Amino acid sequence: MKKKLLSVLLAGSMVLSLAACGSGDSGSTPQDSTATQQTDTTTEPAQNTTAAEDSASNAAADPTNGELVDGKFVDTRKITVEVYDRGNDDGSDPTNNNYTKWIKEQMLERHNVEVEFVAVPRWTEVEQINNLLAAGDAPDICLTYDYPTVLTYANMGGVLDLSSYVDDYKSLLPNLWDWLGETNIYWDKDPVNGTLWAVEGKRAVTNRINTFVRKDWLDKLGLQEPTTRQEFEDMIIAFRDNADTLLGADADKMIPYSVSFDVGWRAALLIESFIDPEISDYEYYINGFDDRALTQNGTKEAMRLLNKWYNEDLLWDDFALYGSGDSTEDDMIKAGYVGAFMHNWDYPYRDGENSIQTNLSRIVGPDAKYVVVDCFEDKNGGHNKFVTSTAGDRKIFFPTTNDEPLASMLYLDFISSPDVIEYLQIGPEGVTHNKLEDGTVEIIAATGDDIQNSGFNIDYTITCNGLHLTDEDLTLRSMAYSYSGIDPELVKTAHEICNTDIRRAKNVNVGAITSEEGQGPTLSSKRDVVYDTALSAPVDKFDEVWDAGIADYLSSGGQAIIDERAEKWKATFGDATSLPE
Amino acid sequence: MKKEKKNTPPPVSNKQSLGVYMKRYWQLYVLLALPMLYLLIFKYIPMIYIQIAFKKYSIVQSVWEMPLADNYGFEYFIKAFKNKDFINALRNTLVLNIFDLIIGFPAPIIFALILNELVFKKFKRVVQTIAYMPHFLSWVIIYGLALQLFAPSTGFVNMILTTLGFESVPFLNDPYHWVRTYISLGVWQSFGWNSIVYLAAIAGINSELYEAASVDGAGRFKKMWHITLPGIKPTIVVLLVMNLGNILGSGFDRPFALQNNLVMNVSEVLATFIYKNGIKGLQFSLTTAVGLFQSVVCVIFLLLANWLSRKLGERGIW
Repeated sequence: MKKKLLSVLLAGSMVLSLAACGSGDSGSTPQDSTATQQTDTTTEPAQNTTAAEDSASNAAADPTNGELVDGKFVDTRKITVEVYDRGNDDGSDPTNNNYTKWIKEQMLERHNVEVEFVAVPRWTEVEQINNLLAAGDAPDICLTYDYPTVLTYANMGGVLDLSSYVDDYKSLLPNLWDWLGETNIYWDKDPVNGTLWAVEGKRAVTNRINTFVRKDWLDKLGLQEPTTRQEFEDMIIAFRDNADTLLGADADKMIPYSVSFDVGWRAALLIESFIDPEISDYEYYINGFDDRALTQNGTKEAMRLLNKWYNEDLLWDDFALYGSGDSTEDDMIKAGYVGAFMHNWDYPYRDGENSIQTNLSRIVGPDAKYVVVDCFEDKNGGHNKFVTSTAGDRKIFFPTTNDEPLASMLYLDFISSPDVIEYLQIGPEGVTHNKLEDGTVEIIAATGDDIQNSGFNIDYTITCNGLHLTDEDLTLRSMAYSYSGIDPELVKTAHEICNTDIRRAKNVNVGAITSEEGQGPTLSSKRDVVYDTALSAPVDKFDEVWDAGIADYLSSGGQAIIDERAEKWKATFGDATSLPE
Repeated sequence: MKKEKKNTPPPVSNKQSLGVYMKRYWQLYVLLALPMLYLLIFKYIPMIYIQIAFKKYSIVQSVWEMPLADNYGFEYFIKAFKNKDFINALRNTLVLNIFDLIIGFPAPIIFALILNELVFKKFKRVVQTIAYMPHFLSWVIIYGLALQLFAPSTGFVNMILTTLGFESVPFLNDPYHWVRTYISLGVWQSFGWNSIVYLAAIAGINSELYEAASVDGAGRFKKMWHITLPGIKPTIVVLLVMNLGNILGSGFDRPFALQNNLVMNVSEVLATFIYKNGIKGLQFSLTTAVGLFQSVVCVIFLLLANWLSRKLGERGIW
């Protein structure tokens, strides 16, 4: 009898341990313990808003019910703020360095608010913030580049509606309104029901992407900088064929043109050059869910060319094996094996002592350098470079676990103040920057806790991405000097080229597209699979692989999104194919 | 499994003596309390949330308040089986696990048999220790090693191959080769560790049997076949049953660390599917349904295999 009981028990525990293998339940444990907590708090913001509205009608001067005296809370409040952890080799602790100390002091002094930073790894930010939100541990001020994630949580009731805060507290948030303006604050406002789940941080600089080539190799081979797609192709073929001359003993390591697994980004200028420059707003929008232009008209032909290059040994064979955030490719570029690549407009110049350009000069020699070229012409012979608007950077949102919406809004106002942005971006004089004679700011390499983990500390200036000093003219002059150890001329050219022939993205706000919900990560990884497999397919199989990949992408939700976008566009703009000015 | 030792209660003649029994052995049950508490907190209580497989998940509601999903709560199961990515992941999980079973299961047995035949004790120990080692490496590190060795252009093995005039082999970036790399790495990582159990079983075989066989003129292979193998047969069966019980399960880190975009159609398994769609894609209900399905199939397989092994006259696991 007892034996039977025991065996049942044992069987039970066996089943249990198996059930634990099926990871479906493991993630949910912590969620619910806080879910109950969250149900309590959801009612709170509603009360807050009504309170705010009441008082607004009674005494317009004080929307906060006397919580604030001279902009300061009577009793100290505490908020937590997300900050990206980039895991830089020689970086400082993103949650505890001289800049965070300064921010904490200033917030305490100006608003009597204690600030604590919560680090989230930059390269897996969406996953991390998902986990934090699901566990109810998300910081009071969250940010992400991924709006669909915000939307998904908003629809579950996990995100605060900011519409009342930005409007009711407007008088308390002069800096936020000055800096972001209606464009960025209302960018994501739902046109139908007026909800606002996130405000868009602003890009001070909208420079996007550039093509870099090894100038010293061009010189060695007596070639000119390429100005057309054909010349670019000829150039990388020349790199391949002259590997012995260019790399000597390391000739077998030659990579004429390098892309990573993220082909859509690392070949973006090439892909965009194949898109019809007369493409309508409508067509661009309905295919616009994927920010790597996977389903745009023209992408396939661009990929066909890349596929040809891959099969002619012009690309890096191992591109798909290294994931996001892996430094292998950068290391090869630094070591001087790579002839050309596309990346963020200033990529090789970033990161001071650790920058690609500085390493390259150190390893290969003082002549070795990457210059920017503009060589992917569209069918009209011009360029078709898409850049974002000032919005489209990080989206800032408050989860419903945020008990201090006012303090959090004040933080956003603080972090948008011109003087705060300036201080955080260039740091203290003599430590992270020097002033040239004409006042131009020159960034110098800092050490220890003064190291900026991100260029201009953009990870702290969450409402501002890109250099933005109090004086606009100074900003432009300083930008070229802001890369320590880099020839300002290189930066100037890079800035100019990525600002020629650009197409600025417009805000198409037709309300939430429900089929996009939760699809972001799944579809982007599918997108990468399509790009990667098509790129590395044999030339005669390219069509087959590409078409199969696209069919899979579309049937996994891509088509539903395109259809819904088309439908909502029609509902909002009728038969017009371009946006009203 | 570990509690099996308590499976031998002293003879208790009738129900009245339960009190006597408890009085004598209560300490043992106190010892049992802590592990049971662990199971309760970390294994049983979380099972309450299995119901989100049948409910519309919401981050702000308690699990009891969430509304039932459509189709009497089976909406997400239907959705999963209509999802071609799920079907694909299911197929990959099965295929990879079956290969693992066919190749990975006999490997430690053969290794244990070979090791047992070694005469030099010291050499045996060294070989054994070296074979255990990979078990302690995480899959992320193993993937790092694999990249260094097998990457098409920078991998050490491929560099040697190309230097010798051969074509570089796409160990990691071609679906066909990837499966073989995946299986071999798995075998390499675990065969040493898994052989411990068999070595222990072999050590338990009565040495008189070998002596008697020698007297009867049995050679090395005869002894292996007629004494060693039958001696460890119960162990083999128990482990086989447990392995069959895991035919649809799989660790997360091995496929996740080893997969890349070029081989996604063969490397996406249920565990990574759940991670990508659940944790990353926020489809908690759908992936809980998938996880539950996976567990239920695992249990069915386990019971089946156990039943079968008992039918065949072996002990099974209970």
